Amino acid sequence: MQKPRDTLTQPLSLKKKLYTVLIFTKLSTKRFFRDRLALFFGILFPLIFLFVFGSLFSKSGNSVTFNVGLINESNSSIASQFVKQSAASKILKIDSSVSTLSAAETKMVDGQLDATIVLPSNFGVTTNSKIPSGQLLVYYTENNSQAGETLVSILQSQFQSINTKYVQISTPFTAASKELNKNSLTEFDYTFSGLLGFSIVGLGIFGPVNVFPELKKQGILRRLHTTPIRVWQYFTATMASQAIIGLISIAVMFITAILVFNLKVVGNYLEIIIFLVFSIIMILGMGLAIGGWAKNERQAAPLSNIIVFPMLFLSGTFFPRYAMPIWLQHVTNYLPLTPVIDGVRLIATEGYHLTQVGPQLGLMAIWTVIIYAIAFKVFRWE
Amino acid sequence: MAKKIVSAKNLRKVYGDNEVVKGISFDVEEGEVFGILGPNGAGKTTTLEMLEAIRPIDGGKAILDGINVAEDPESVKRVIGVQPQAAAFQDKQKLTEIIEMFAAAYGERVNAMDFLKDVQLADKANSYAESLSGGQRQRLSIAVAIVHSPKVFFMDEPTTGLDPQARRNLWELVQHIQSKGVTVIITTHYMEEAELLCDRVAIMDDGKIIALDTPKQLIEDLLKKGFKKHEQVQQANLEDVFIDLTGKALRD
Repeated sequence: MQKPRDTLTQPLSLKKKLYTVLIFTKLSTKRFFRDRLALFFGILFPLIFLFVFGSLFSKSGNSVTFNVGLINESNSSIASQFVKQSAASKILKIDSSVSTLSAAETKMVDGQLDATIVLPSNFGVTTNSKIPSGQLLVYYTENNSQAGETLVSILQSQFQSINTKYVQISTPFTAASKELNKNSLTEFDYTFSGLLGFSIVGLGIFGPVNVFPELKKQGILRRLHTTPIRVWQYFTATMASQAIIGLISIAVMFITAILVFNLKVVGNYLEIIIFLVFSIIMILGMGLAIGGWAKNERQAAPLSNIIVFPMLFLSGTFFPRYAMPIWLQHVTNYLPLTPVIDGVRLIATEGYHLTQVGPQLGLMAIWTVIIYAIAFKVFRWE
Repeated sequence: MAKKIVSAKNLRKVYGDNEVVKGISFDVEEGEVFGILGPNGAGKTTTLEMLEAIRPIDGGKAILDGINVAEDPESVKRVIGVQPQAAAFQDKQKLTEIIEMFAAAYGERVNAMDFLKDVQLADKANSYAESLSGGQRQRLSIAVAIVHSPKVFFMDEPTTGLDPQARRNLWELVQHIQSKGVTVIITTHYMEEAELLCDRVAIMDDGKIIALDTPKQLIEDLLKKGFKKHEQVQQANLEDVFIDLTGKALRD
């Protein structure tokens, strides 16, 4: 049973140390896929967010819509025709529950309606000039003056085409539209890269932050500490296993986004994978630092919340950063999650190459060094 | 006299103002079962942890198999096996995988079934650790601690909380391991366990060793002082009755 002494006095070879990493990676990945709770939070949970945010943002897509009330007080055929056309319009979203101006007013004050269109009783009635005429009214509240005015000019231009049927006039100035054959980013593209960031944070930070204190409580890490395994081996195995799990989770999100929300991926998949692996490793470092430092859940939970939630909101996870004031954009540029979200979007939906996301990679490299320096320093086995 | 495989000289451990191990010295001979006895808080576990190279030694010196523990913890870890007080394992991990994982921690590849057979867990090879009973978990814990064929095996209160059958089974396992030439250092609260298993015992109290000898000699010394039990010693006790009635077979 005992080994000759000389084999024990030799230090463990690098090959053997890497074998340790390999087996730990294999077994912890396996364990993840057997754990229903981990599967839910790691894979299903981000997917639920994808469906929620996806359906919120993909509808508004790149078109403008107005939520309006439509009150028709006229009996003329032109008026009813207008109502029918409005219902089919892509621009107008008519709230059919509104039938009186006072009801519409309440909803406008609540912000549920942008404006209300009223067709007065004389609208479309043929007068003595033998041409039907009328004036509709657009009501809007102070806060919605932009929407109201835009709506008025849209309706004006629609009447223009009707007017020409009755009155011959030549118009010296006109505007025509022409579609550029170029893909522009939709709000969903921003949302999707934000959700990828959210999923990486979920796996990389909340994973170790929840698991490590539990392992310490049960003395499992302490027991590992009685073996020759080193912190770097344990970290590397965790990293590799998280990268595998993270890529699978993200692949599921990509497939869903492509099939359900028409995400158009123009970037190179290999470059996306390389960038994501780097991102996962960097973010995981924060989880390793917090979970590795904390003695128990009571230390781990508040610290991770203080770090994670501001980062999630300020890095453009749930709403795009371009919606923030400029000064805040400058500050949030340097958060660790920001280059991840920007980089994924640039590569996946804008077709950038890794060589073109240098600023993002550079910032991530700096953060990775800082985060892992801390993680190694504060790690405790019990 | 046999070779000294562990030698502790004036070992100390201090937590803040509290000195929990107050300069203890002892030697352990190769191949023996050495017991450390003492009430809770006596410093038994801390002493083991210092020898296991997982707790810094604040004073004194410990040599294990010729290695200075404080200077070369990694080499020490490779020649020792440790069974901690709590036999906890991660969920959703098969027994064979746990053996494979711990062997890998030493950079080694083993046949997990051989080790599971050794501790009568072969039929549970594909179960998860969380489905095991307390006694089974202790046996797995022993199998895990010896995957790398250690020279010194540390056991911290291995039988606490086990039923009489499981305890007897564990004693047999300890004797089996000793028969392979492994030195065993064990802490326990149970005196009959120490009397049966240990070649020599050190009794600790309040961070100091207050007696160190073979169990037989310690008893003789006490009798020499004129000690007498109040009751006449019977040839059997309640535990003997229990084992006679329920049998020695394991119940897990």
